[in-house]
Amino acid sequence: MEAITNHNKKPGGLKRNSFLYKMLQQKYLYLMSIPFVIWVFVFSYLPIWGWTMAFQKFRPARSFWDQDWVGFKHFVDLFSDDRFFLVMRNTLAMSFMGLVANFTIPILFAVLLNELRHQVFKRFVQTVSYLPHFVSWVVVAGIVTKMLSIDGGVVNQMLMGLNLIDKPIQFMGEPHYFWSIVTASDIWKEMGWTTIIYLAAITGIDPEQYEAARVDGAGRWRQIWHITLPGIRTTISILLIMSIGHLIQIGFEKQFLLGNPLVIDYSEVLDLYALNNGITQNRYSFGTAISIFNSVVSIILLFVANGIFKRVTKESIM
Amino acid sequence: MKRKILKGTSLLLANVMLVSALAACGSSGDKEETKQPESTDAGKTETTTETTQPAMDTTPITYTMLAADPSPDWNQMQDDVGKQITAKTGITLKMDFATDANKVSLVAASGEYPDIISAKGSSNLFVDAGAVLELSDLIDKYGPNLKKVYGDYWNRLKWSTDDEGIYVLPTYDGVNNTYFDAGGAFTLQHQAVEEAGYPQIKTVKDYEKVIADYVAKHPTTADGQKTLGLSLLADDWRIMISVTNPAFQATGASDDGEIYIDPKTYQATFHYRRPEEKEYFRWLNHMNDIGLLDPESFVQKEDQYRSKIAQGRVVGVIDQKWGFQQAIDTLKKDGKLSATYGFYSVQLDDKTVDHTFEPTGFMGGYGIMISKDAKNPERIIQLLDYLASEEGQVLVNWGIEGKHYNVENGKRVIPQDVQDKKLNDASNFKKTTGIGLWNNYGPHYGDGVQDSTGNYFTTNFPEQIQNSYSDEDKKVLAAYGKTTWKDFFPSEKEFAAKPWGAAWNLPVPSDSDANIIYNKLTPIVRKRIPEIILSKPSEFDAKWDAFMAELDKNDVKKYEEEYTKYIQARVDLWSGK
Repeated sequence: MEAITNHNKKPGGLKRNSFLYKMLQQKYLYLMSIPFVIWVFVFSYLPIWGWTMAFQKFRPARSFWDQDWVGFKHFVDLFSDDRFFLVMRNTLAMSFMGLVANFTIPILFAVLLNELRHQVFKRFVQTVSYLPHFVSWVVVAGIVTKMLSIDGGVVNQMLMGLNLIDKPIQFMGEPHYFWSIVTASDIWKEMGWTTIIYLAAITGIDPEQYEAARVDGAGRWRQIWHITLPGIRTTISILLIMSIGHLIQIGFEKQFLLGNPLVIDYSEVLDLYALNNGITQNRYSFGTAISIFNSVVSIILLFVANGIFKRVTKESIM
Repeated sequence: MKRKILKGTSLLLANVMLVSALAACGSSGDKEETKQPESTDAGKTETTTETTQPAMDTTPITYTMLAADPSPDWNQMQDDVGKQITAKTGITLKMDFATDANKVSLVAASGEYPDIISAKGSSNLFVDAGAVLELSDLIDKYGPNLKKVYGDYWNRLKWSTDDEGIYVLPTYDGVNNTYFDAGGAFTLQHQAVEEAGYPQIKTVKDYEKVIADYVAKHPTTADGQKTLGLSLLADDWRIMISVTNPAFQATGASDDGEIYIDPKTYQATFHYRRPEEKEYFRWLNHMNDIGLLDPESFVQKEDQYRSKIAQGRVVGVIDQKWGFQQAIDTLKKDGKLSATYGFYSVQLDDKTVDHTFEPTGFMGGYGIMISKDAKNPERIIQLLDYLASEEGQVLVNWGIEGKHYNVENGKRVIPQDVQDKKLNDASNFKKTTGIGLWNNYGPHYGDGVQDSTGNYFTTNFPEQIQNSYSDEDKKVLAAYGKTTWKDFFPSEKEFAAKPWGAAWNLPVPSDSDANIIYNKLTPIVRKRIPEIILSKPSEFDAKWDAFMAELDKNDVKKYEEEYTKYIQARVDLWSGK
């Protein structure tokens, strides 16, 4: 950056610190960023125009001016639906459980992997652990359902074999187990993949710090506590802030594939609710209203999380 | 240009000949009606009317089409039937299949429409948006065969009492369809029925007894797996087919989707609110209580369900045959014929009559629309007209003469080697021949209707159906003195046709109260019904009352009122009032 600014020194009438002056100096940088700005604008900002749909009684094939405007009717409908709050509870609960699990376990796993001295074994474990990431949810759901089945499912047979239970438990039919089953299968599938990021961050820590610590007499635990974990703190907080922003947008594949009528009160999530009540029922406007709500909540969550982190840890993404 | 015109005139001649040939045989068994002048009157006036009819243009043209139902064996019209259709009409279809329900909605919202649209239940989206053409004039000009096929049911093509235009040409339901076989919903394994000594199976108690006796005698199958008495499937919408709709059938009511319609007053009732059906669910509750209901019924996914049936472990299945056909095919392949199923007419008690075969008349409904942006829409009508012609219908059902069927002594016969391929290599057969790919794309007659040569239009007719039965099927049927499963059911002749057809294909506007309330009721039903069935019998009544109260709280009565209005309007429209 310095090189460019120095090279482009121009003795014009513009003040050195004015915006325009800087812009002129950095014109190539600006030019280079233009395609990306256009890209962001086209794909992220233009579609926001579609939000107007939420305030209309949208009907296809009519021009914008021919639509009927209904104000906040769709939002009122949304907030007066009991089901919506139920769905909200499920979304936040599963999201939160996923957040906690997906932070503690992969970090722990990354730190443990890092401590392994046997390279071949370490690579092997790492590969095995991230392979499930490439298995689609359809297959994972099939495996989970089969394993938890009362009709010859492995888990029930094991529990019976250990005499822990007298008769098989209908895991998939018990509403209260649902959140845990989703979280557990999520960890199995994504743990290895998330670990990669932390492992990469750990690799970036200067080995001299470890050497210095060892000279000072720090053992394995001390090194983990005082060097490894602080070393990846930035990565952890950035990822955490971003996942908090996505708390409400957890998708619906898992819940859709693992759910069944008996647990529907615990399995229906916001995205599924939006799909069922929006596009599938051709209620485009209602669907848009849900999506606006979704985005607004996400933005608020993101800012709040960012603000808190800024205060507490002096680290933030904005 | 000149060549085109020349070609056109020669085709005009050909067209005249074709139409007159059809007009000549048009009167075979058709009811004469003033609304369809082409049958006999046209014979006399054909020279004048036909010369004014524009010739069929067969210059190659490609149309885009969106179909709501995926067709995995679609072969870009490179199959025998497809090539023949292109040769006759010049039209090639570029298909786009909606792989999930949302695609049709998204196309409707996009404002860019394919030339031909088959949207099933979402047709109203396109019509409301003014995206499709009103077809009456085009049919008048270019669709003599369309008029002939729809004939008596012309009123059923009209959109609504407010707008009597024709926007959709129904292509799903066959005109004057007769059912020759039964395929649901109460089924029993042949081995269980046989062991019980072919008892009378009329009520749920008879049905239960066959299952109970068999399970008591054979707690495990030959390969050591636990025998399951009765298995149901509640995976997503399949709950309606396997769990809730049979309540209609077992209580002597006609299945109209999620509502019951009083045949006299046309009053609609959300069908769970019928007191009779409570007793059906009580029976399912009892089946669960005595351990005959597969405890995984409401948890299992479709693949688990199918694999259980395919292992021959499930004595009774309540489902439509198409829902577990794959499992039956596996059983057949494994030689476990005695574990395949028979289809019985079962009622809650002996007071009611099974209405499964209550005739609907031609149901209209789902079909093809033409986009307002389509170029030369008359070409599309001509294509549909060709598909509706006798030649076209024989082509799509039977294939090409000399290749897929032969005519022996005036009868169409499918050679054994072709029949074998059709049964054993079904997907490949469809791909190469194209037979069976066009059933939902052209207006057509249903099973049991004969053409001018006295042959059936479709390949489903009594002799053929009996041929498709296995030896074990035939053995059980013979023991009961029947020839098809349908013989167990009261014949359609015992009922008057429903003047509203079938309510499940009634287009209810998406933003109507009825639709919005329905979407609130569905999750309640899908949750409560399984809960109630799995509860202790002592809690059944309390839980049922709570369920009813919950429906009430969610405006079920308003839903019924609205629906009654829709039904009334349809009856008026269809009866031409």
